[in-house]
Amino acid sequence: MSVDDEKLMAFADGELTGADLAEVEAALADDASLREKLEAHREMRARLSSAFDGALTESVPQRLRHAAQTPHQAEVVDFASRRAAKWSFREYGAMAASIALGLVVGIGFLQPAAPLVSTADTGLEARGALSRALDTQLASDDAGAVRIGVSFRNHDGAYCRTFDLTEGGASGVACRSQSNWSIPLIANTAAGGEIRQADASAGILNAVDEMIAGDPLDSEAERAARDAGWR
Amino acid sequence: MSAAEQTRSDIVAMLPRLRRFARALTGSLADADDIVQIAVERALMRMDQYQQGTRLESWLFSITRNAWIDEARSRTRRGKVFAPVEAGEHVGHGGEAEVHAKLEADDVWTAMRKLPEEQREAVALVCVEGLAYREAAEALDIPIGTLTSRLARGREALQIMLGGAK
Repeated sequence: MSVDDEKLMAFADGELTGADLAEVEAALADDASLREKLEAHREMRARLSSAFDGALTESVPQRLRHAAQTPHQAEVVDFASRRAAKWSFREYGAMAASIALGLVVGIGFLQPAAPLVSTADTGLEARGALSRALDTQLASDDAGAVRIGVSFRNHDGAYCRTFDLTEGGASGVACRSQSNWSIPLIANTAAGGEIRQADASAGILNAVDEMIAGDPLDSEAERAARDAGWR
Repeated sequence: MSAAEQTRSDIVAMLPRLRRFARALTGSLADADDIVQIAVERALMRMDQYQQGTRLESWLFSITRNAWIDEARSRTRRGKVFAPVEAGEHVGHGGEAEVHAKLEADDVWTAMRKLPEEQREAVALVCVEGLAYREAAEALDIPIGTLTSRLARGREALQIMLGGAK
């Protein structure tokens, strides 16, 4: 009677029942080498679990507790997941997901007298100084109200640009759609906002990773695209 | 306590195990905590997708694993280089954890990092986290036969790398 390695492993893991279990037990009874293999399995398992068990006794970092306990997040879940679905990108990554939370805060935040972002049928759109900066400003230009980051083409061939609002404490990605800049992603990073700047940047980079087709534009290509009106 | 509050508190209770799982996946203390944070945020965003009464554990492991896959993929895309396996990268953050890991588990961490991703995640769920095959297969969204063959190959490789004796 032979017991193959997978079956022996399943036995060691307590996965066998009925006839399989009886078969291995019987084989073990009269096969010393099989018993040795079983012992090796058990030892490996014990070794693996003890190598990582430190995590169970160490105290959990505050930031992780905080991430799990922040009640605000649960309340905006529905809104956030609807938005995420609407963007129809594949998974953004969690940072981007938390940026969806920032969006909730961000909209309210960006509605003062001269709004930089407004809602349109298709989602959010750039307005005012943000729209002008996206049209004309290069990454190398001195930042006024808006700092421009990377420019790239997305999978639909449209130009997209990342931006930071220097005063408003928000960061995001805008993509050219007809004559407007639509904003698939924006994060509120102001003090007291949902997201720290570092997280927002990481989230936006993740989103760019998902959206980008090819490489980011170099400064020459950026200038050429601007001069051609981002078409 | 509302259902959402209950789930949050269950997630908090799961944090130590998520960290352990993430360490087994990433082979790095710092990466592990980053991944857990991402996973927790993701889980909270998607709480509507979690079915009350089903196994929160498998769901969270699955989200954690996907967070790691995404992170690894994104790093590759950006051309970031992972710390060389030989460098024992999980050591270097100070504290008791480091000493413990270094003295007792360095070779295990290193061997785990050398496994192909698909074998490592199977080993991490079953041998480190103690999930049943069915649960692990569910968390990885693969058939149980695929899980057992990855698990067997992973263990065999570990056995060769680590040898029999302690």
